[in-house]
Amino acid sequence: MRPDDRQYLKSHEWCKIDGETATLGITDHAVAQLSDLVFLDLPAVGASVTAGEQYGEIESVKAVSSLYSAVSGEVLEVNAELPDNLEWLSEDAFEKAWMIKVKLTDKSGDLMDAAAYEETVKAEQ
Amino acid sequence: MPRNAPRLRVLVDAPGAPAQNMALDEALMLAASEPTLRFYGWQPATVSLGYFQRRAEFADVPRDTPIVRRLTGGGAIHHGDELTFALAVDATLLPGDIASSYTGLHDAIVAVLRNLGVPCERLTSGKAQSSRPADRWCFAVPGQDDIVTAHGKLLGSAQRRVRQPRTRVLHHGSLVLSRPTLTPFVAAVDDFVAVDDGFRRALIERLTAALGSAIGCQPEAGECTATERDHAARLTTRYLDPSFTARL
Repeated sequence: MRPDDRQYLKSHEWCKIDGETATLGITDHAVAQLSDLVFLDLPAVGASVTAGEQYGEIESVKAVSSLYSAVSGEVLEVNAELPDNLEWLSEDAFEKAWMIKVKLTDKSGDLMDAAAYEETVKAEQ
Repeated sequence: MPRNAPRLRVLVDAPGAPAQNMALDEALMLAASEPTLRFYGWQPATVSLGYFQRRAEFADVPRDTPIVRRLTGGGAIHHGDELTFALAVDATLLPGDIASSYTGLHDAIVAVLRNLGVPCERLTSGKAQSSRPADRWCFAVPGQDDIVTAHGKLLGSAQRRVRQPRTRVLHHGSLVLSRPTLTPFVAAVDDFVAVDDGFRRALIERLTAALGSAIGCQPEAGECTATERDHAARLTTRYLDPSFTARL
């Protein structure tokens, strides 16, 4: 079971909301699908992100994939060490490998809880 | 092939300009309403950069060789006499994990090439690339699942995946027919067989059938729609923009 203190998107991103701040990342399942990661591009602090829209890009050995935001708002903080330590995504996708923190103004209507996300992952396998 | 298999629209284009090539592939990824396989070439010979590569690393490319940035990842390719293809499909037509999606497509291509007299194989062992490739050129460092001959890497492949809202995949393949000048270390089809017009036609026909079968679709010759052409025309501006090419 994946952490139940956060919500998930079908596209395998997670979102943890604490008051007015949302922390975003991708799930262990996304990491496994991508395989060996080589490059991560995240927005700058102060940038705006929009729920359902791309906020970054990640490259594995074989594919460039978009990262989608579960929320709208302004980027407050970026995990600046992550692009140089992509192994963190394999080690701890839900804590150490968070990607951005956003001052929340809105959130996606497509968010699901951990149990529903588990079903989504099972359906894909 | 089941009679109710979805259609794979097949486009066979003449060699085209780099920005137009990349724009049309992106438009097919974003806007195509059915699975699409496009074959094309490059006129003039062009260097394409992987999406995350730095333009400054290619300052030694001759000034008369255009440089374009791809939407797909990986290393740079010098596109000379090659057969390039773009497969634009929903991700549901491919295996879930990205590595497996390469396996099926590459096995299909290997079978076609062997049948046409090109002794090649898909690397099934050896070191998977687990960090940034050591070389800036795609063909310099064969990795797991790459197609190789005794002379080196023969086919370069890369993907782009977007969700809108379905996950769409653009899979690029570059099959070297004759060795390009900037990357003499690559393998080439004409190391083994004469690449004349008849061979090119047979290659496209057989790859069409094999790739269609690999994704469970029935190939059928088609045309781009006006919507796709318009979409591509708008996207061309970005690929022509030096600030996009040098964005890194």
